[in-house]
Amino acid sequence: MQTDSQNGSQNTPVIEITDLKVRYGDSPALNGISFDVHQNEILGIIGPAQSGKTTLLKVINRTLEFTPDTTVEGTVKLDGVDIDTIGDVYGLRQRIGMVLPLPVGLPLSIYDNVAFAPRTMGIRAKSELNEIVERCLQQAALWDEVKDRLNSLGTKLSGGQQQRLTIARALSHQPEILCLDEFSIAVDPVTTMRIEEVLKTLQAEMTILLVTNLVQQAKRLANRTAFFLNGDLIEIDTTDVIFSENPANQATYDYVNGTFG
Amino acid sequence: MNALTTRPELRKKIVLLSITVIIEGVAFIFFWSVLRKTAATHMQASSASRTSDALPNLLSDLNLILPMSLLAILLGIVCAFYLEEWLSSTSWIRRFIESQVAFLTGIPSLLYGLLAVIIFFGYAGVFKATRTTFQHNTALFYTEMLIFILMVIPVAIKATQEALRSVETPIRESTYALGANRWQVLTQQVIPRAFPQMLAGGCRAMSQAFAAAALLTGIHIWSHTTGLRGLPDRFMLFLGGALLLSNASSFLTEIYVPASTQQN
Ligand SMILES: Nc1ncnc2c1ncn2[C@@H]1O[C@H](COP(=O)(O)OP(=O)(O)OP(=O)(O)O)[C@@H](O)[C@H]1O
Ligand SMILES: [Mg+2]
Repeated sequence: MQTDSQNGSQNTPVIEITDLKVRYGDSPALNGISFDVHQNEILGIIGPAQSGKTTLLKVINRTLEFTPDTTVEGTVKLDGVDIDTIGDVYGLRQRIGMVLPLPVGLPLSIYDNVAFAPRTMGIRAKSELNEIVERCLQQAALWDEVKDRLNSLGTKLSGGQQQRLTIARALSHQPEILCLDEFSIAVDPVTTMRIEEVLKTLQAEMTILLVTNLVQQAKRLANRTAFFLNGDLIEIDTTDVIFSENPANQATYDYVNGTFG
Repeated sequence: MNALTTRPELRKKIVLLSITVIIEGVAFIFFWSVLRKTAATHMQASSASRTSDALPNLLSDLNLILPMSLLAILLGIVCAFYLEEWLSSTSWIRRFIESQVAFLTGIPSLLYGLLAVIIFFGYAGVFKATRTTFQHNTALFYTEMLIFILMVIPVAIKATQEALRSVETPIRESTYALGANRWQVLTQQVIPRAFPQMLAGGCRAMSQAFAAAALLTGIHIWSHTTGLRGLPDRFMLFLGGALLLSNASSFLTEIYVPASTQQN
């Protein structure tokens, strides 16, 4: 169980989302959602397929811009600044760590995968890079498996290892916000548990948005949980309330208890 | 599964197709008229000229092809990068260039060879009586130039675009998500990944250029030994048919959306 003291008691908002609407061509993906993400919380985001969870994350790090023909309305503020007005979009993305559902190993060595972002940020010193690579791989529970072959291709790792590599990579630029999109799809349960432990410790340093299809994972980790359905935010509340016998919305109850649809 | 594009999309494509057909029609009529003149000029001239020096002359001119194809391919690559990485997929410039490229690359290279012959004799034939090496060279130069513009550049553009597209969006997105800028994504991810395909495309473009040049050389020699008795109108009819068909094929492939780019 999480206690309130863990989520930075004063509930400072780091991300403020106001009336966010997203459309792909003519089909809506998010229909005007508003909520805040608090400093140093783990916010669980749950909801059935197509409910707009991934879209939300892509809006936050502005990678939705690469999907042609998308329309975004409403505002997303990061530390009080509208992300659309941030000129240095690359700097913005460095402040946000992103783990995508399917591991995308860059065609580089394991070492270079993790050192990529620090290098683009201008870190050149070998010792510093070594230290970052080791720390991030440790945090992603991958270090022991790969420490002897850091120079082999990242894409040659197993699916679960590649996923952990992308987690290490997302941590490599020391983000203020870590977004995880169904990170455990390709990861075995034991390793998933290890990563979950890491996430709990990382919470002290950063704010975590955890999109997950495993409602129990949200229950285990999240301080608060948001339930999305067909592009609407149905309910956002403390995880205890969402998983209680009486959340505000019946659909929420049905979904977390697996009686949905 | 493939699906037909939407109505408004189809309308746009028909507009682009009509533009192509009009350009083509004008060009076709022009070449036909040049061809008829050429045939007449050439029949008088061919008996007069002895061409023992034609082959080495022409072969030495082939060294034009190498630098020119490299230049053309480079131009094609730059153009493809501009289209693919800078313009949005809905931009009209991009749509127009792409539809032209689709059409031009759809034409069998044999037709380009014949086109080259027609232009070459159209130009060189006129100066037959007083032909100098300079004129011969400029004729060859302009012919090659045109062939490169019409054939090599589009092939290079298309091949490079395909290579760039083969680098999956998730790879780009995850590199961008790490805070890399456009230049870093291009140089560190896209180009290394797309390079083999780009190289292959360059070779394909080169090979077509050489094939056209070879055909040009061959017909040049043949015409001097047998006398080019004018290409009959029936030939032009077949040529026109081939053009139309290749046009139809590029149009048909365009109105179908391949499964990989379909939205789910
Ligand atoms: N690239 C795209 N082009 C067009 N429509 C898209 C695209 N990506 C997502 N969509 C649509 O947007 C809506 C929301 O999709 P999104 O991927 O955000 O859902 P999700 O909650 O992440 O689902 P899942 O749990 O399956 O990952 C869906 O209806 C989807 O079809
Ligand atoms: Mg998703």
